Amino acid sequence: MIEKPIERVAKATPTGMARQIKGLSDKAVAWLFVGPTIFLLLAINIFPLIWTINLSFTNFRANRPNREVEYVGLRNYERILTDSDTWLSMQATAHFLFWTLLLQVLIGFALAWLINRKFRGNDVWTTIIVLPMMLSPAVVGNFWTFLYQPQIGLFNYVVSFFTGVDPSSFDMLGSVDLAPWSIIIVDTWMWTPFVMLICLAGLRSIPDYIYEAAEIDRASKWRQFWTITVPMVLPFLMLAVLFRGIENFKMFDLVVQLTGGGPGSVTEMASINLKREAFEKWRTGYASAFAIILFVTVFGLASIYVKALNKVKER
Amino acid sequence: MQNISKSFGSQSAVESMSLTIKDSSFVVLLGPTGAGKTTTLRLIAGLEKPDSGKVTIYGRDVTHETPAQRDVAMVFQQYSLYPHLSVRQNLAFPLKSPVLKTPKAQIEKKVDAVAEVLHISHKLDNKATELSGGEMQRVSIGRALVRDPAIYLMDEPLSSLDAKLRADLRLELKRLQSELGATVLYVTHDQIEAMTLATEVGVLNGGELVQFGTPREIYESPSSLYVATRLGLPRINTLPADLFPAAPSGARTLGLRPEHIAISEGTAADGQAARVTRVERLGDQTRLHLKLTGHKVITLADAHSTVKVGDALTIQLKDPLYFDRDGARVERGNK
Repeated sequence: MIEKPIERVAKATPTGMARQIKGLSDKAVAWLFVGPTIFLLLAINIFPLIWTINLSFTNFRANRPNREVEYVGLRNYERILTDSDTWLSMQATAHFLFWTLLLQVLIGFALAWLINRKFRGNDVWTTIIVLPMMLSPAVVGNFWTFLYQPQIGLFNYVVSFFTGVDPSSFDMLGSVDLAPWSIIIVDTWMWTPFVMLICLAGLRSIPDYIYEAAEIDRASKWRQFWTITVPMVLPFLMLAVLFRGIENFKMFDLVVQLTGGGPGSVTEMASINLKREAFEKWRTGYASAFAIILFVTVFGLASIYVKALNKVKER
Repeated sequence: MQNISKSFGSQSAVESMSLTIKDSSFVVLLGPTGAGKTTTLRLIAGLEKPDSGKVTIYGRDVTHETPAQRDVAMVFQQYSLYPHLSVRQNLAFPLKSPVLKTPKAQIEKKVDAVAEVLHISHKLDNKATELSGGEMQRVSIGRALVRDPAIYLMDEPLSSLDAKLRADLRLELKRLQSELGATVLYVTHDQIEAMTLATEVGVLNGGELVQFGTPREIYESPSSLYVATRLGLPRINTLPADLFPAAPSGARTLGLRPEHIAISEGTAADGQAARVTRVERLGDQTRLHLKLTGHKVITLADAHSTVKVGDALTIQLKDPLYFDRDGARVERGNK
């Protein structure tokens, strides 16, 4: 009888290994491939999450690992939700979220719209505009502290150039009123390009012939903008808002670099507050509960938002 | 339009074309891909600016006007519906133009009426992207029909549809046009569309209008060999003129449509002998592929013809067309 190729392969395989492989079903092989990934996911994401939930019901302190751990039930949650500091930090986060999203959407969309008009060198401009996004947040935070410096900072100088106010008369990072805005400005400077890129993708996805048809249908440029451009870019814009919203909810790096939560605690957003509780006060159980609350908040808001996004897409 | 020229870079798309479209006529521009049909349409619509020449509508010079000012409606080849709007909103879009100030009730009435005509009433509340190709194109045509423009411009509106739908919509379009008394400029590469729809056909070649006339005129007395080959199925046969006697002087090419060929079985005294090489039975007609002293000739025979491959036939001519060496028509005046 003539040997089939598969039989030849089987013969050429060392017997020990062949016996091992032959015993495996397709399903087993599949698990073999997926297994390591699932293990890593469980070890790095799922287990810590469950462990955090567990810790949130205790008075555990990570700097005293040998102390006996007591279960305190919902006490941590109760204390967090009745603590005025928590609400202040939540307010600071909301303020920051609202303004960064608003500014980034408006400026990002406007920039995308300008870049999308086909002019010479628009690729170069895109690259220049996108530059801030490529920098590390630590670097950005660091050099903006210099720009904000009242005596030598370029930012104060530019503001005084346009308004005539004495540059050393105000301190962006040191003033209770201005400090939240100093962070909003830096975040907007850094992340508007991201919103612009996504809007640009949206604008580029609108085919020219739609505008030609509208032109023939005697729609003014203004009407074309509101009835064609905006509705067709909206899903992209909402996606950008989702990304930026989730990112900024956990805003940490820029704040640490610029104000460290101060002056006082006006820029102490939820994530900064959380870090203080966890790694300065070492109230691990309390911080765990706070982390869970934040997680549920982001998750809930994002789910509602994604539902809205899908509705817009269907429209 | 007068002496319109347009070129893209060094590529000339339309060359000094002049064309007058009469009110309530259905003019079809026929030509192969790249003949400048679409460019001509876009020049009239105002989507392209001519390099020279001018466009007038009802005597008004519109050369430098925007498409909106020109009062034209256009059906695009790629549907170009507004994907985020419903069918109803798509149809109402042109009516909502502030230029018109159409009252709401009237918009609804008009949209319903057009939807009725195009058989898309049941799809009015669907999203534009949830339609089949034929439905999309009907909406696209409907979007033009809701208006009452100076001229309807249609850029191969049926080319992306399947054969049956194309035939249906072709009839529908013709009926609509004659009912509304609308003026239509229609661009296509399909000769059947040109023949059936048009009151006048313009044949384009390389950006030039080579002949303009009624479909019959163009079919029966083409001005050049090029025009003759654009119309007629099966295509006109071209043979050296001296193959048959009595060619007018200067004639180089002989154009033979099936109706120019009289076939008799066996051999006859006057006429050329030919041999059947292939018989295609299409049901309603029979196509004969003949070999005539080394040249291939395709002609039609009766559906019930008994001719078989290998049969010997005699071909006689009935008022054939003659063309000179440049492809221009030579009249058979001397007879």
